[in-house]
Amino acid sequence: MSISEDEVNLEGGLTRMEVAYGSGDGDEEASAKVASHESSMGAIFEQKYRPWDGELGPRWIRNYAIFRHHVYGLFTSKGHRQYHPFVRLSIVVIFLGALTPIAMLFLSSLFGGSEDELARLWGVNRYNLWGQVLGYFPRNLCFWPLLTAMVVGGMISDDRKNGTSAIYFSRPVTRTDYTIMKFISVAVILGFVIIFSYVAYYTAAIVFRGEGWAYLVDTLPLFFAGLLCGILLVLTYTSIGLALSSISQSRFFSAIAFLSVIYGTKLVALLVDAQFESSILYVLSPYDCLAHIGQYLLGIELNYDHPLSLSIVSILLMNAISIGILTTRVSSLEVTRE
Amino acid sequence: MVTSSESNLVIETRNLVKMYGPHMALDGVNLKLKRGATGFLGPNGAGKSTFFKCILGLIKTTSGDGRVLGYDIQTQGEKIRSRIGYMPEYDSLDPDLYAIDQVRFSGELLGMNSKQATQRAHEVLEYVGLKDQRYRKISTFSTGMKQATKLACALIHDPEILICDEPTNGLDSRARKFMLDTLRKTVTDGGRSVLMSGHVMDDIQEVCENIVMIHQGRIVVHRQIDELAKQVDVEIEISVWGGSSKMQNALEKQGMSVRRLGRVMRIKQESPETINLILSTAADCNVQVRKLNEYKPDLEDIFLLIMERLGLEVKGTKDLMTGGHTGGDEYF
Repeated sequence: MSISEDEVNLEGGLTRMEVAYGSGDGDEEASAKVASHESSMGAIFEQKYRPWDGELGPRWIRNYAIFRHHVYGLFTSKGHRQYHPFVRLSIVVIFLGALTPIAMLFLSSLFGGSEDELARLWGVNRYNLWGQVLGYFPRNLCFWPLLTAMVVGGMISDDRKNGTSAIYFSRPVTRTDYTIMKFISVAVILGFVIIFSYVAYYTAAIVFRGEGWAYLVDTLPLFFAGLLCGILLVLTYTSIGLALSSISQSRFFSAIAFLSVIYGTKLVALLVDAQFESSILYVLSPYDCLAHIGQYLLGIELNYDHPLSLSIVSILLMNAISIGILTTRVSSLEVTRE
Repeated sequence: MVTSSESNLVIETRNLVKMYGPHMALDGVNLKLKRGATGFLGPNGAGKSTFFKCILGLIKTTSGDGRVLGYDIQTQGEKIRSRIGYMPEYDSLDPDLYAIDQVRFSGELLGMNSKQATQRAHEVLEYVGLKDQRYRKISTFSTGMKQATKLACALIHDPEILICDEPTNGLDSRARKFMLDTLRKTVTDGGRSVLMSGHVMDDIQEVCENIVMIHQGRIVVHRQIDELAKQVDVEIEISVWGGSSKMQNALEKQGMSVRRLGRVMRIKQESPETINLILSTAADCNVQVRKLNEYKPDLEDIFLLIMERLGLEVKGTKDLMTGGHTGGDEYF
């Protein structure tokens, strides 16, 4: 197949030269196309200072940040204080364990009847309300001390160990706010398990058995007495736990020291009681002092020979000493050097 | 009461005294700092950290008063700390947190809401060169990355004053350069004031235009670095071969001031004739002059001179450093 000259204009036969040497008449200004400086040279990082003109929030926002950092960490590992998965799992197990009477009440409501053995064993009465918070086994042997030890473990000792106290105190966070928010964070976590399970137990007893106003009038004072016991227990365990956390740089020490205080004092007092038939040393045991006060508040028979006033004074002293240690140790947390 | 009359004055103290029991940590500190970058120098225990704690409103002073950005350091510490970014010298990061979460949390502690703090955390982490490492746990970070994270924590609220306590501690040369560039950029591009303490003169010279030297709780020098350099004599540095002591004695006999370290001598330039005198003396002593140049003093020389005048036996800023400053290794 051939093409005619009309179809392809060779313009005097220059095409081949243009192909070979470039187009144009050669009179244009000589210039070369080179890579311009503005073109991307593969820079992957441009450091640019960006100002911020937002407004900082008031004191409660700062304090809420401390609270959220510690409490939310139990539910999500992202963005908040890290709790070991084993700790989180243990807290769930303790929480579910504290709710077991509700399951028994549910069974009781299914079977019913006047000779309801399950309701007698697990239903609301003075002893069970006391036991839901202050019963020794399993709650004060296995549940609450372990729960407290795991929660307070690194609450302040981690700040001392990692130097993160500087992050708090170089900001407009006062030592008072820091201490109060740490205290509230621990108390809320303990309260969620101890007091929430107590309230849930009482509520479930009413709901499952369809109790009426008369039942409420009868049991509500007892419920409030138990609630007061729960609050006392949470405050006392939080004070002691945080005081121990504030004096060390180790999670392990705080946790073990707390368990030692709770179990050790109990054991010594128990041995002395068994040997010499004197309950006076129970004033050294935080659990027993609380149990003593709880027995009085709920109107059940007292297990202890020594006067109630000693247990009350002891609990007040334990809290005062713990808070004293806590505030002193928080005051010593450094910003510039630990 | 001190008043900040000049608008560009960021810190002003008058007769600031702080005593820890019988020990006087700050001894009547009078200081007026303008906007810009200022370096704080002094041996360990000189009072730098105490001064920082005072201006952050963290400790009560024994006497004297001061204002930071117009706020009283005795009564308005919280307001001061809202407008200052502080980068501590030592580890102050939670190793279990991701960098983004640590920086966000430090913003929340200032009063930023979570959304603001998160957005700002992304910005400042990018600024300090940790954009790609934002979602890594701090426990996996190198020293340089930890220092950068601390800087990001301090910058999150765009503070008017940034206080950096020895920001280059333990950094390798690359990380050190980046840190100093970032601080300089914060002053030049961001228009912020930087107060930087350190033991390495070069670092301070690279970032700061002003210098404050503290010794035994007193301000011994507060000048512009350039101004200070002018006050130091220009010297002729020579490197000789054969008979250094003989040469030194001969020069000193002619009334010249000589500093000598082995074969290297520095002779104070009294007049333009000094060089000729040196060369003729060398010829008389039969000593070879292998190298001769004018020696321009740097900050290290200034520091040494001041320390010498204060009667301290310090051979260099390196003497002020401990293993902690160098990450356990020799820095130079």
